Amino acid sequence: MKNRLRVLRAERQWSQAELGERLDVSRQAVNAIETGKYDPSLPLAFKIARLFDMRIEEIFNDGFDGGKND
Amino acid sequence: MVSMEAKMTEVPELDGAETEGNVGKSLAWIAVAGLATVFTAGAIVGVIAAATESGGSLSGIDIAIVAGMVAIIGALIYTQWNLARRIRIGGGPLTIRERLNRNIMVGCGLLGAVIGATLVATDGAMPSDPQTIFSDSPLPLALAVLLAVFWGVIMPVIAWFWHTRAIDEQEANAYRDGGYYAAYAYLMGAPTWWFLWRGGLASEPNGTLIFCLFAIIWTAVWYWKKYR
Repeated sequence: MKNRLRVLRAERQWSQAELGERLDVSRQAVNAIETGKYDPSLPLAFKIARLFDMRIEEIFNDGFDGGKND
Repeated sequence: MVSMEAKMTEVPELDGAETEGNVGKSLAWIAVAGLATVFTAGAIVGVIAAATESGGSLSGIDIAIVAGMVAIIGALIYTQWNLARRIRIGGGPLTIRERLNRNIMVGCGLLGAVIGATLVATDGAMPSDPQTIFSDSPLPLALAVLLAVFWGVIMPVIAWFWHTRAIDEQEANAYRDGGYYAAYAYLMGAPTWWFLWRGGLASEPNGTLIFCLFAIIWTAVWYWKKYR
């Protein structure tokens, strides 16, 4: 799943450790989510969305286009 | 020439993955260097034991070999320390959860070292084959009870604390996947070995080896899932 986490973090000039501290996860978890190697749980996705004051779908993109190409 | 002091204080140059916060490679090398340290220490004990076995003393060659191995241990410890610095720097300082995670890991490593050293120190205490960590030879009663209490009572408490406080959901996920792979390998591998043994095609199944393979598969998959 693609996401904008790295961009959002960079905009706030937070290190992975700072973001990890705010989300109560490790730097490795932040890295894995940013690089798309790990999809966060729904509670963590909500936590991320609340932290950046955005909706989940504004941060995460599962590639579904609403069936426009069907 | 760069002095040792300057080398110790300068910030190591991180590669791309480390800069992005992926410290898996450094961690793997720390584990390899740690194992090499243990084996080199064991080799030193072996050289000294062989030389002093029949009441003799260390020859000049023995002392040179031991000194060489001590130097190797020094280099390995320096390598581990340097790799630990890379881990600290990559992705910023450790989070509170990571610090707890690291402290428990280090604590368990030290406890493991104490257990290993105790087993080596009690070698020969019982009239049996030479003891090793994985041997089936008899142990002194007190030591056997102590190890059983550690493994059966203290370890579950540490594991509970570890899984509830020290790891996050990404690592828990990696552990879960590792558990699946290890469980399936056990469920399919152990009976396969057993059937082959009964058919006379393999040696008798070895519980200790099966346990080790289970742990290795779990650890390997955990590492792959956490640091890939």
